[in-house]
Amino acid sequence: MIWLTWRQHRKQALFTLVALGVLGAIMVPTGLAMHAKYDSLGLAACRAALGSASMITQTEAVARCDGLGHQFQQQFSSLTFVAVLFVILPVLVGVFFGAPLVAREVEQGTHRLVWTQGVSRLHWALAKFGLIGAITAVLAVGYALGVSWWFQPLVSASTGRLTYISFDVQGIVPIAYTLFALALGVFAGTYWRKVLPAMGIAMVGYAVVRVAVEVFARPRYLPPQTLSFSPSGKQTPNLASGDWVMEQGVRNAAGEMVLPDAQIGPCPAGGCGNGPGDVGPGAYNWLRYQPGDRFWTFQAIETGVFVLLTAALVYFAIRRVRTIA
Amino acid sequence: MELAVEARALGKRYGRSWALQDCALEVPAGRIAALVGPNGAGKTTLLHLAVGLLRPDAGEVRVFGRDPRDGTAVLADIGFVAQDTPVYRDFTAAELITMGGKLNRRRWDAALARDRLATLGIPPDKPAGKLSGGQRAQVALALALAKRPRLLLLDEPIASLDPLARREFMQTLMGAVAESETTVLLSSHLLADLERSCDYLIVLQTSRVQLTGPVDELLDTHRTLVGPRAGSESIAGVAKVVRASHTERQSTLLVRRGDGPIDPLWTEHEVTLEDVVLAYLADADTRVNPAAWGVPA
Repeated sequence: MIWLTWRQHRKQALFTLVALGVLGAIMVPTGLAMHAKYDSLGLAACRAALGSASMITQTEAVARCDGLGHQFQQQFSSLTFVAVLFVILPVLVGVFFGAPLVAREVEQGTHRLVWTQGVSRLHWALAKFGLIGAITAVLAVGYALGVSWWFQPLVSASTGRLTYISFDVQGIVPIAYTLFALALGVFAGTYWRKVLPAMGIAMVGYAVVRVAVEVFARPRYLPPQTLSFSPSGKQTPNLASGDWVMEQGVRNAAGEMVLPDAQIGPCPAGGCGNGPGDVGPGAYNWLRYQPGDRFWTFQAIETGVFVLLTAALVYFAIRRVRTIA
Repeated sequence: MELAVEARALGKRYGRSWALQDCALEVPAGRIAALVGPNGAGKTTLLHLAVGLLRPDAGEVRVFGRDPRDGTAVLADIGFVAQDTPVYRDFTAAELITMGGKLNRRRWDAALARDRLATLGIPPDKPAGKLSGGQRAQVALALALAKRPRLLLLDEPIASLDPLARREFMQTLMGAVAESETTVLLSSHLLADLERSCDYLIVLQTSRVQLTGPVDELLDTHRTLVGPRAGSESIAGVAKVVRASHTERQSTLLVRRGDGPIDPLWTEHEVTLEDVVLAYLADADTRVNPAAWGVPA
């Protein structure tokens, strides 16, 4: 089976390696440039000095550090779009590796050749899914490590790694996404049994599940925390904390939201009741957020969700394989 | 007598319609059996059940007494060539033989396959997709034979070949199985392709077995009778009238003989296998009701 799997997929493997090589050739120089700039600006040191507390006292050092962060972002903002490309990469695995795995056999009738030899269908399915899955996993680990390294300066210079897109290409979730995409492609192929529809279903299905989990489930993995701070105080949210701010605004003394998506302050000693919108005396800034130190917890939960989905899809794909004739 | 294939009350359903129903048949070991019937009669379904690709919805099928879905030991005894002789089109013939060896650890005669393909002049290093249809069919047959199967199942192996390739394919097939004691079951919608080679016949139509038995016995028990225009009265020595056609003066009947001599009023003629098959197929023919087309019957 190893020989057969390698013989059938060696071309795909070669193309993948070439594509990853090209990608690496772009990533390594830009990544090195970002890391060098990050260090030379002194961002690493000043961010470390800010610590990871959610609130810090506004000082000149804090303002300078924010300024450096903005400067860094300005310079490399175009590369943020490259990160979107990394979000899309796993689905390609599902479309080009997963979907044809069974569908092409059925489309060309070769399943009747290979399933009537001296190897059982279950064995065939386990060997094929296992080998392709293992190779995909190795590639995905490399991809996850590479992108995490590449993306790290950009993320630390901006809003932190819990936010959308940053979260999706770092840590361990890209590995789970990739395996899920593969399993979804395989399952679609056992269900529709034609390569092109299976590819389409894999692509659409992947997008739907990912968006659903990202928008509906992820913000609820753990109950968010809230934070209130007075506009006249010296306290300000710490950008280096990596907190994922989900909602913010200004509430008046009665606790009603009066200025959504805004913050006021710092105010002069007399208060800032006459500012824009006339929020009245006693108004305070309010934040709902997921603390930045939950990054690995969230990564573990999301990885768990997608690993479970992957296992379910593989199980149903094998069941389908046993009924195809 | 050992049975290579045995089906009892076998049925397979796709959705609500039965592709094969109430199928009972026996193919004794050592026979070369033809499975004949029009397109859509259930031939492919029957072969897929016999090779374990499909699971029956009713009854059972056994190959040398064992369920073909019962592990790979049974599969090792069956050589199968599916319809349109599928092979991996980007593999060369040599690679396909290597693949067979990897997938059949129990028994694989690579030398046999190489010898056959060398004799037929098939290039070993050309992708199978670039071979002609006849050559690809030969490669698929060589792969099936290299398993040294006790039962060889072929699903319309020659349907898509030109007449010359057909004859060549049947010659190599018969040459190969003559040397061994392989039982063969091959399907076709054309009896003419198989008539000369087969000694056992199964006629399948509209999901049911219409006729089954050894060819010589079928020829011996059937007769064409020509005589005066007959009604529906029974004739001495005739067990069953399979098909009757009438002109104004005379009737022509294809009958299965019963016990004793046939009524001398009728002139007896020997039958050909084709006569028998066509008579049974016509008998079972159920046509689409014209109303389905919106046309009065």
